[in-house]
Amino acid sequence: MNNQEPVERKTTVFDDETLERSRKSAQDWEAAYLRLVAKFGDAAPPRATGPRTPSGIALKSAYFPHDIEDLDPELIGSPGAYPFTRGNLPAQYQLMNWANQPVIGYGLPEDTRGRMDALADQGMIGYFGQKFYNLVYDLVSHEGLDPDHRAARGRVGQSGMGVYSKADMARLFADMDLTKMNVVHITYYQVVPALAQYVALADDQGVAPDQLRGNSMNWYHQSAYVGMSAFPPRQGHKLAVELINYCSKNMPRWNTTNFFGYGAEEAGGTAVEEIAFMLAYGIDLVRACVESGLDADQALARFGFQIAQGNDFFEEICKVRALRRIWATTMKDRFGAKDPRSMHVRIHTHTSGVSLTAQQPLVNLIRTTLHAFGAALSGVQAMEVSAYDEALAIPTEEAATLALRVQQVIQEETNITSVSDPLAGSYYVETLTNQLAEAALELVDEIEALGGYIAAQESGWLRRRIEASAERWRGEVDSGERTIVGLNKYRTDEPAPTDLFEVDPKVEQVAIERIQDLRANRDNDRWEAAMKTYTEAAQVLAEKDYADLDGTLIEAAIGVAKADATTGEMMGVLKAALGWRAPHEY
Amino acid sequence: MNTEIEAGEPIRVLLAKPTHDCHDRGVRLVAKKMRDAGLEVIFINFLLPEEVVQAAVDEDVHVVGISTSAGGHLPIFEDLLAGLASQGRQDAVVIAGGVIPPGDATKLESWGVEAIFGPGTNADQAIEMIKGRLQTSQS
Repeated sequence: MNNQEPVERKTTVFDDETLERSRKSAQDWEAAYLRLVAKFGDAAPPRATGPRTPSGIALKSAYFPHDIEDLDPELIGSPGAYPFTRGNLPAQYQLMNWANQPVIGYGLPEDTRGRMDALADQGMIGYFGQKFYNLVYDLVSHEGLDPDHRAARGRVGQSGMGVYSKADMARLFADMDLTKMNVVHITYYQVVPALAQYVALADDQGVAPDQLRGNSMNWYHQSAYVGMSAFPPRQGHKLAVELINYCSKNMPRWNTTNFFGYGAEEAGGTAVEEIAFMLAYGIDLVRACVESGLDADQALARFGFQIAQGNDFFEEICKVRALRRIWATTMKDRFGAKDPRSMHVRIHTHTSGVSLTAQQPLVNLIRTTLHAFGAALSGVQAMEVSAYDEALAIPTEEAATLALRVQQVIQEETNITSVSDPLAGSYYVETLTNQLAEAALELVDEIEALGGYIAAQESGWLRRRIEASAERWRGEVDSGERTIVGLNKYRTDEPAPTDLFEVDPKVEQVAIERIQDLRANRDNDRWEAAMKTYTEAAQVLAEKDYADLDGTLIEAAIGVAKADATTGEMMGVLKAALGWRAPHEY
Repeated sequence: MNTEIEAGEPIRVLLAKPTHDCHDRGVRLVAKKMRDAGLEVIFINFLLPEEVVQAAVDEDVHVVGISTSAGGHLPIFEDLLAGLASQGRQDAVVIAGGVIPPGDATKLESWGVEAIFGPGTNADQAIEMIKGRLQTSQS
């Protein structure tokens, strides 16, 4: 462009004099610190002599201004400004608290509705006071079956709601205005039937798809580390892109995809692995969306993230700040994203379930409070706090309400909601944020070198990586190097808890009768015609490349859902066309 | 009837997890630890309990372990125990792991499930139990 020497740009937060003084104070501190440590000799614990985060990042025992001297202040930036390290928007919680989003779902649709109403009465609300429901489907639906399948015995309405058709959707949302609420459909791989049945119900109410707000999970990518039967990775990936195509044309308010980092950390992954896997999958997904003819901004603006908030207080906070930064820089630099919403990481935090213990279960309330507090400090948009009894059974209503209270106390009693990104500028927090961002980008490069996320999933590389971390963690727990209160330290003899939640066994019989009535009484000609179109669309999809994806399958799925097709029938077609298999063996 | 195990023969364990249950972090680690401890481990995911029975027969295992953390466990054990008996394999040591509420655990024990390893137990406890149990029946 020109022949001028580049101007040396001052990129540090501090001036030379401050840095000089910082180095001097650090030297003095270190000498004094080491003298103290020496007095303890071999009794000095590892955290005094070689502190590390669970991701393996080496920590210092105290941080100083010069620790962030090489950090470009633009990377920290301000709340609501690129690269969004400090938050997506100029305001964090000043105008609107994060959304309380407990996961709800058990028994028949009416049972789930009962708990939806009970929690709404207790103050469970979403953004701008809208109704917000985070609904999880049951084990039978997750398997893509109907309640009268032999494998469904004992699983109907367990760990989620038994919703298998448009008719069940109608029971769930009886007398509710679908345009005035936001519904998250927590599925595993039955993403298509869940969306299609919901859209079909809306159609019955005269509500067009473009009026609907909510989320599909589009969670096919999680089969990389979650051990359930699934579609083969590339076929699942196509289903994800297909749904994004449909929604970008017909459901502009619908959030199409959720990046399931939570599952990666729950399966044993570290904070670095969690955010790197999400970014690596994001790259593969946007790449495929662009191949299918979408603009990067069209796809990206409707993505969301579910992440875990686990025990390591600062690493878990900094990972969120790091993810916001590397997502924004990657999407801008690689895909030319322009819309700020495309660069935003909209986060639903789920406090870590794997950190909870069956022993001394009330202690879990303390853990979840710390998790929720950390998530709030990191600036997330929505939260689910685990119930204290979930290591034992489906939470009781009392436990579910207490989990909601954890959020309400933090929101309304601590005043942390007055200031955006309150930890910014901490030498420690900024250093660790930067280290996590760099470590994650390095891991993403490694995955890209393997051919990308889907290729690394197919080869089992992602799975092996997570399992190695899980094994390391367990070794630390077994050796006592890592403390879990009540489990490997401070144990007590306690009576087995008795007040556990149980799903009424009658649920199963009712669900079976309903699905059989539905099949017997629906308009069979209409159902057959719709199934034919849908089956053909699934077979065509199986042979398509990313470039040919256009949303046809989702259109056809909505057609069969309107004709009262069941989840088992809809998933059966997809399984037959795309393949379905147990998790990999390694 | 006691499980027959020849001197020097490795103990064969079938570990199985329902495909609807995503919580496989624990059982996969248990499988690895058992292999490290010299046990022969076959790991499968299953939709129907008869798949477990079939694998137990085909692989002639001494131990069948079911890991379940998402509910729906009672019918699985009911079918599994009946299936093993109908195949003449009621001698197999059946154990369980995962999230099984105390009331159900009592029920499973009364049906003949020999040990239930709930959240927080470690793999070594299961390995010791299996070795102890099979050595006892050997002597």
